[in-house]
Amino acid sequence: MGKYEGDPAWDDVVPIPQDDGEGALAQIAYADEYAEAMGYLRAIVAAKEHSSRVLDLTVEIISMNPAHYTVWLYRASTIFALDHPIQQEIEWVNEVALDNEKNYQIWHHRQLLIDHLYPSISSDPVALQKLANSEIAFLTLMFNSDSKNYHVWSYRQYLVRKLNLFNASEIKSIEALLKVDVRNNSAWSHRFFIVFSNPEYATPGSAATAYDPGIPDALLDCEIEFSKAAIFEAPQNQSPWNYLRGVLRKGGRPLATQECFASEFAKIESEEEVKSSHALDFLADLWNEEGETEKADKALKLLGDKYDPIRKNYWEWRRKALKAA
Amino acid sequence: MAFLVKGNKHHKRVVFQTRAMAEKQHLTVSSSSAKPAPNLGSKNQQSGFIIEELSQDDIESITDENCLPSLSQPAPIMSAATARAAMIPEVFKNLSPFRDLLNTQTSQAQDKTVQECLPFLSGESADFKYYNYHGLPHLDRKRHIAFLHKSLKKLPAPYVVADAARPWMFYWALSGLTTMGEDVSEYRKRLMNTVRPIQNESGGFGGGNGQMSHLAPTYAILLSLAIVGGDEALGLIDRKAMWKWLGRLKQPDGGFQMSVGGEEDVRGAYCAVVIISLLNLPLDLPRDSPAWTESVPTLLTNLPEWVARCQTFEGGITCKPDAEAHGGYAFCALACLCILGEPHVVIPKYLDVPRLVSWLSARQYSPEGGFAGRTNKLVDGCYSHWIGGCWPLVEACVKGPTMVSHHAKSTNLGSTDGSGDLYSREGLIRYILCCCQDVVKRGGLRDKPSHNSDSYHTCYVLAGLSSAQHKWNFNHLTAKGASGNLASPYHWNVEHVIRQPQIYDEEDRVETVHPVFVVPEGVAEATRAYFATTCAGWD
Repeated sequence: MGKYEGDPAWDDVVPIPQDDGEGALAQIAYADEYAEAMGYLRAIVAAKEHSSRVLDLTVEIISMNPAHYTVWLYRASTIFALDHPIQQEIEWVNEVALDNEKNYQIWHHRQLLIDHLYPSISSDPVALQKLANSEIAFLTLMFNSDSKNYHVWSYRQYLVRKLNLFNASEIKSIEALLKVDVRNNSAWSHRFFIVFSNPEYATPGSAATAYDPGIPDALLDCEIEFSKAAIFEAPQNQSPWNYLRGVLRKGGRPLATQECFASEFAKIESEEEVKSSHALDFLADLWNEEGETEKADKALKLLGDKYDPIRKNYWEWRRKALKAA
Repeated sequence: MAFLVKGNKHHKRVVFQTRAMAEKQHLTVSSSSAKPAPNLGSKNQQSGFIIEELSQDDIESITDENCLPSLSQPAPIMSAATARAAMIPEVFKNLSPFRDLLNTQTSQAQDKTVQECLPFLSGESADFKYYNYHGLPHLDRKRHIAFLHKSLKKLPAPYVVADAARPWMFYWALSGLTTMGEDVSEYRKRLMNTVRPIQNESGGFGGGNGQMSHLAPTYAILLSLAIVGGDEALGLIDRKAMWKWLGRLKQPDGGFQMSVGGEEDVRGAYCAVVIISLLNLPLDLPRDSPAWTESVPTLLTNLPEWVARCQTFEGGITCKPDAEAHGGYAFCALACLCILGEPHVVIPKYLDVPRLVSWLSARQYSPEGGFAGRTNKLVDGCYSHWIGGCWPLVEACVKGPTMVSHHAKSTNLGSTDGSGDLYSREGLIRYILCCCQDVVKRGGLRDKPSHNSDSYHTCYVLAGLSSAQHKWNFNHLTAKGASGNLASPYHWNVEHVIRQPQIYDEEDRVETVHPVFVVPEGVAEATRAYFATTCAGWD
């Protein structure tokens, strides 16, 4: 006898067995516990029941299959219907998240929880600060085991927008991650978002690759210095090069403002000394911008022939574009 | 069992011999990297982009017990290795000339991956009985085909973690099998029986019977039905309910949720337009859609603008605005745009093309030759499609349309030497054939040598191989059986890429896979034609 079949709390429910169709492909030989629990869930969903026993049932199914989006969404709607304490749910979700690092559904569930909770605390700065602190603390814990976890980062970007965390402490926590690994591109990417999407000054709807006149000059200077310092640490690290280009683009500043800096890592005129292919790429774009197409062409040719031959086709395409212009 | 033990013995002996050679030639090759290490299920290893998440580690660890016995014959000592090595370009044999001294977790993982791949890339892996003159092994079709057939059989209990993503198993297997030239019509009846109870009356398909409709399994099932083909298979889809359900997923900002109340991301944008285009659905937004207003009258209103918001400062594309650029989402975004319009018109209209091409280009690594999904992450075979599949779309964008008149049903494939390529086809083909094949355990393709194969990687590595072996052109004049809404993706023609010398053996060329729909050439066209002719109105 199954767990639910013999439980008086469930004797009013007739489980609905799974219809797999005849000769089903990739049919899964479910463990009895899972098949039974899912039979009860189908019955509950069909009856649109939202009760506390649904919470127990969904905990059990999620423990066997954390990727079951239907169960997560049904659980969320039950939590809201029952007015189940959100804080308690977040604590449970923390445990599940730590045990299932790759899981996608958990992070959407968490987002639904915060969306639901937010209106009730939005006018209470203390409660908001407390929520922000506990959320960031948990994300930091997640990053301890995988600091590039895509779902966790996406959730963090959601959280920043939701709780308006475009602030110094967010920048600081990014710096801590970059201190451990300056090649962590997820952290660079998050920094760019924090700095250039801050609604205090950023133009709403400004594309990430577009000039935004709203960005303060001092901020641009600061970000340029930050990326340059990182490039000095490891010149072949592409993350800060991409960041530097992104900052210059946002600020509407020509690449030529960084010619001296980039030349530290790539010289191709009288003497040839290249320490970073990204520097050479940067200089090629810079010289093209300045109309020095011959120098740009030489840089691109060197990249294709010598310093970065895997991308020869790409560098050649760039050379053709120089000539066409 | 005895055979298995014997096979293992041979395997070990060969490994020992080649390892000795490897050490002579490459002092930097660590001894443990001459043989694929078993997957230790390290939780820190980020598996590749998965359009619907499976816990790949869990599945990898449980399917080990299904390993086929090693069938490999004792390999001859590789007397031609030195000659062969001379034919492998330096860029695939040597470490990058730029190696910063600063040591971090990222650089350690990268160095480890290079060490793991080098023996495979330099023609020294004992896994292969044969390397050709250019240092490439054969595509082991027989094993990969057997692996995919097996993935459609009854699966053991630990696959429960895939219970909500099971329709992907159908698509990955059917797509992979047809890419290798297999006839899959034998699966038509069973597929129909399997998916009928998964379709919901309120429109769309879920991950299984009784599960909520979700765009990922709906996409996978639609493509699977299209692949097995036939009116009966396509006719089981409830188009009208599908249209109404898509209306419920449409968001006021232009994008689509994956399921009602689920996440909104660029996968949703891609899956939705694939469904609208293949089923030839009306574009009007159902009036009961939560997104409907007079300024949002259609399913496509503000959709390309929403996709545009997913381009990041790096030039790549993310799952939703504000996040990090990622290969899987880049393909979804570009393919979505190429359904909405002609590549040379729609991509430049919504994206910064020079930054996009720069970012895509940076995804290819040397010496590995394969693609990584994000800046400073590792190569993974599945990006052979997610990034590799971006190239035909982007190349068509920068090149513009071809005006050659092809007949829709022409079977004479033209050929090209591949000039005008933006990436290294050779690098990708080398990574796929040398590093992504499991030829000693259960067959199938994989992320990288230290990972087990699975049907997800098998499908997308093969799609990437196909893309690298063929050239797709966007053709203004050819509309293969399609007119009306969202007809752009039916304007593609394909050519063989034939280069002298060709590095892989011609028998290892796989079939052509449509650059937008990722189904065999002709399948999308036939599907659209079916729905255009049989379903002019609501059926």
